[in-house]
Amino acid sequence: MVVVGAGIVGAATCYFLSKRGFRVRLIEAAAPAAAASGAADGAVSVASKRPGPMMTAALAGIALYRQLEQDGLFAGLFKSRPTVMVAENEKEAERLVEHAAALASEGMGLRYFEGGALRRHLPGVAPHVRLAVEVGEEGHAIGYEIVRRLIAASGVTVERGVAVTGLGPKDDGSGATAVRTALGVVEADHVVIAAGGGSAALLGLPHATQPRKGQLVVTERSPALAASLPGSLMSCRYLLSKDAIRVASAETGRRFGLVIDPLRTGQFLIGSTREERDDTGNDHDAVSRLLASAVKLMPALARLRVIRVFAGVRTATRDGLPIVGRMPGFENLLVATGFEGDGICLGPLIGREIARMVAGETTELDLTPFAPGRFELRSLVA
Amino acid sequence: MDRPADIVCDALVVGGGAAGVAAAVELCRAGLNVELVEQRPALGGAYYRQPAGGATATRPGSRRARQWSRLLDELRGAGVTPRECHVFLGVDTHGLALLDDRKGGRVRTVRTRAVIVAVGAVERVLPRPGWQLEGVVTAGGLQMLIKESGEAPTGSVLIVGNGPLTVALAADLARLGRPAVAVIEAGDPMTRPSAALRMAAFPGLVAEAAADLTRMHAAGTPWLRGSRLTTITREDGRLLASIEDRNGASRQIRADIVALHDGIRPNHFGLPPTTRDGLVVLHAGDCREALGVSSAEADGRAAAREAVALLSGAAAQRHAPEVTRQRRVQAVLASLFRPIRDDGGLAALPDETVLCRCEGRTVGQLRAMLTEPDPVGAREIKLNGRFGMGPCQGRFCADNVQALVSAVRPASQTVPLSRDRWPARPVLISALAAEEEAREE
Ligand SMILES: Cc1cc2nc3c(=O)[nH]c(=O)nc-3n(C[C@H](O)[C@H](O)[C@H](O)COP(=O)(O)OP(=O)(O)OC[C@H]3O[C@@H](n4cnc5c(N)ncnc54)[C@H](O)[C@@H]3O)c2cc1C
Ligand SMILES: Cc1cc2nc3c(=O)[nH]c(=O)nc-3n(C[C@H](O)[C@H](O)[C@H](O)COP(=O)(O)OP(=O)(O)OC[C@H]3O[C@@H](n4cnc5c(N)ncnc54)[C@H](O)[C@@H]3O)c2cc1C
Repeated sequence: MVVVGAGIVGAATCYFLSKRGFRVRLIEAAAPAAAASGAADGAVSVASKRPGPMMTAALAGIALYRQLEQDGLFAGLFKSRPTVMVAENEKEAERLVEHAAALASEGMGLRYFEGGALRRHLPGVAPHVRLAVEVGEEGHAIGYEIVRRLIAASGVTVERGVAVTGLGPKDDGSGATAVRTALGVVEADHVVIAAGGGSAALLGLPHATQPRKGQLVVTERSPALAASLPGSLMSCRYLLSKDAIRVASAETGRRFGLVIDPLRTGQFLIGSTREERDDTGNDHDAVSRLLASAVKLMPALARLRVIRVFAGVRTATRDGLPIVGRMPGFENLLVATGFEGDGICLGPLIGREIARMVAGETTELDLTPFAPGRFELRSLVA
Repeated sequence: MDRPADIVCDALVVGGGAAGVAAAVELCRAGLNVELVEQRPALGGAYYRQPAGGATATRPGSRRARQWSRLLDELRGAGVTPRECHVFLGVDTHGLALLDDRKGGRVRTVRTRAVIVAVGAVERVLPRPGWQLEGVVTAGGLQMLIKESGEAPTGSVLIVGNGPLTVALAADLARLGRPAVAVIEAGDPMTRPSAALRMAAFPGLVAEAAADLTRMHAAGTPWLRGSRLTTITREDGRLLASIEDRNGASRQIRADIVALHDGIRPNHFGLPPTTRDGLVVLHAGDCREALGVSSAEADGRAAAREAVALLSGAAAQRHAPEVTRQRRVQAVLASLFRPIRDDGGLAALPDETVLCRCEGRTVGQLRAMLTEPDPVGAREIKLNGRFGMGPCQGRFCADNVQALVSAVRPASQTVPLSRDRWPARPVLISALAAEEEAREE
C-alpha cells in the first residue's frame, strides 16, 4: 500500500490499513502535518452543518473520536465540549433559530440561552449578545497531535521530504498504478492519494479543488478566563458567511468566521478567515479585524496578549463536498481530499472508510455523495 | 481593501542604540524621511543605557556620556524626532511594518521603503540544572538594572559564566559598595599568554579591563577561573550553586542572586531576515555582528549609506573599517577567555535540565523525541514537543534547542527553529484590535 500525504487523512488511512495487517508506505513531500493539518483549529463539530451528507459524516466523525478516545488511541487528545453559537443582532438571531431548528430535527441535543440565563451561563460574553445555542456532545482535537499519535500507532516511518511527482500505470501492464517520486517509481497494490491541496494536480483534475486560506491567532495562557467558557464560542456570522461564499468574496476576497476556542492549556485560539488564496502569510488587517470582532463578543479578551499568529490553507471543492473514493477506471487508485474546514473532524473517519474500501468491504458511511466521478475527469497523464 | 497605513516614511530605523541613532542621522542627511523607533522609554541602547526617571547616571561626564551626547546632538541636528515606547513587531505579509505603541495602547502600521533593524545584541545564557529558579538572572540584565537605577540589587550576588562582562559587573557592584560573592569564570585569561600579548594592540581595552579587575580585587571578590557551575538548587530560601574547578573538585556557594552570562550574540529573533518584495531590510550594529559599541555606530552609518544606494537602485556594499578592527578585538577576547576544558556542552546536561523555561520543557523530553525512529523535524519539535511555543516564542530557547538537536543528531540537516513571523513580541489584543473598534463605532 502506498499512501501519499501525511496530513490527518493520510495518517489515519495509514493507521487503519496497518491495523488490518497491510504493509504501508507513507510518502510525504514535507513532514507530517506540514500543511493544513498542522495549521488548523480543531473543532470536531457538527454545529455549523446543515442536514445532509456533511452532517451525517460529521456525526460519525465525532462518534469515532469518542470511541478512539475510549479505546486509548486518542487518550488525552480529544477534549469533549460543546460548541456555543451566539447571535449578536436580530438578523443573526433569526438565522440561528432557523439553523438550530434544523439541527434539532436531526435529533441533536440543544440548549437555548437568553437574557439572565445567558449571562449566567456565559459570564464572559458581551451584553449585546441576544441568543446562544449550545450544541452538546462535540469536541476538539489538535491536528498535529492526532497525526503524530496515528503515525506512531501504525508503526510506519514516514518517508519525509519525498514528493510524488506523478502517477502512472505499472510496467507489467496489469492496469495497476505506481507513483513517481524523485527517488524513483514506487509500485503498490493500492495507492491512496491524501495529499490535500496537492491531490488534484496528481490526479489530473487541476480545477477540482481550490485553496482557501485561514488566519488564526493564539493568545497567552489565561486559565480562569478559558474556564469561564463551557466550550468554543462561534459567532453566527459564520453561518451567514457560509451562506454567502461567493457573494461576499467578490468584494474583499475574504470572509471572517469568528470562533473563540479555549484550549486545554488555558490559551485561546481565535480564528479564522476564509480567503481565496494559497499562501500562509499573516496580515495586520485581517488579524486586527478578527480580534476586534472577538473583543466585541468577549470583552475580557482585550487584556490578553497575542503570542503567535499563523495561517493554513484549506482544500475546498466547487460543491463544498470532499472527494473520497476510487478513481473511476483505476481499480487500485483511491483519493481522499477536499475537506475544506472539516478535515480534522472527518480525517480519522475517512481513514477508516478508505481502509474498508481497500479491503473490499462496504463502507459504514455512505460515500457516494463524495465520489470522485462527479467531476469531469481528464485521463491520467502516464 | 486594507486601511491606509498610520505612518508613511522612506526609512524606518528600529532600535535607539548607537547603530540605530547613527543610521537615522545618515539617512536623514541623505534627504530621506526617517522614523526612528525604540521600545524603551529612552534612546541609548545597551551601552548608552540611560538612568530611568529620577535616578542619577553612574558617571556623568565620562567618555561614554560625552560620546552619547555627541550622537544625540547629531540626531537633533538632523531633525529626527524618535518615537520611544514603540516596539517593532515585524513586517506583515502585505509589507507593512508593525509597531506596538505601548503608551498609546495600539499597534501602528508603517508603510516604508526600507527598514534598518538595529536591535542590538542579546546575552547568551546556556541552560544549567536549576537555571529556571527564581533569583537566577542574567549578568547583562543586572548590569542594565544598575545603569538604570544607579543601585545594586538587594541580596548577595554570585556571578557565573564566561567572558569579560562578568568582571565588569563585579566592578560595578564593588563601586556601589556591594561586592559580589565571587565570579566563576570558565576560561582562564591568565594562562593564555599569546592572546594576552595580542591584547596589547588595544591599549584602551586593556586599561579598562585592568581598572575593573583592580576594583573587583580590592573589594575582595574572588575570581575563580577555570571553574563552572554544575547545578543550582534552592535551600532555605537562598540559592545554592555547586561549582566545579578545573581539577574536578567541587564546592558550594550560597547567594540570593545568581547572575549567568555566556557572552553576547546578535539579536535576530523574530525579525525579517532580508529584503523582500521590494522592501529593503538591512541589519546593522550588534544585531548583525556583536562587536561592541564603536563598531555598532560605524556599521549603523554604513548601513544607512547602503540603504540610500539600494533605494536609488544602485548596487551597494557595506564598508566600515572600524567593524573590521573590532572584529579583531573580539577574536582576541574570545581566545583569551576560551574555556579551560570542554564540559561537553548541552549534550552533557542531565535529562531534568529545563531547556524551555516558558513551558518547562526539559532536555530529557527533547532527547526522547530525537531518538525516536522517525526523524522529527523542526516543526514537530515545536508543535508536538512544545519547544519554543511559550510566550517567548523561542527568543530564549530556540538557539539552545537547536544546539542540542545538532549534538544529538549530528548527521541531520540543521533545523531552523527561529521564526520571522510577526509579532516578534507578545502584543495586547486591545492594541491589535483597537483600530477596528474605533472604525465600527
Ligand atoms: C485555518 C484553518 C482552520 C481549520 N479549522 C478546522 C476545524 O476547526 N475543524 C476541522 O475539522 N478542520 C479544520 N480545518 C480543516 C483541516 O485542517 C483540513 O481539512 C485537514 O487538515 C485536511 O487534511 P488532509 O490530510 O486532507 O490535508 P493536509 O493536512 O493538507 O495534508 C496533505 C499532505 O500531503 C502532502 N503532499 C501534498 N502534495 C504532495 C505530493 N505531491 N507528494 C507527497 N506529499 C504531498 C502535504 O505536504 C501535506 O502534508 C481548518 C483548516 C484551516 C486552514
Ligand atoms: C549585556 C551587554 C553588555 C554589554 N557591555 C558592553 C561594554 O561594556 N562595552 C561595549 O563596547 N559594548 C558592550 N556591549 C555591546 C554594546 O552594548 C553594543 O555594542 C552596543 O550597545 C551596540 O549598539 P547597537 O545600537 O547595535 O545595539 P543596542 O545598543 O543594544 O541598541 C539596540 C536598541 O534596540 C532596541 N530594541 C530591541 N528590540 C526592539 C524592538 N523589537 N523594537 C524597538 N526597539 C527595539 C533596544 O531597546 C535597544 O535600545 C554589551 C551588550 C550587552 C547585551
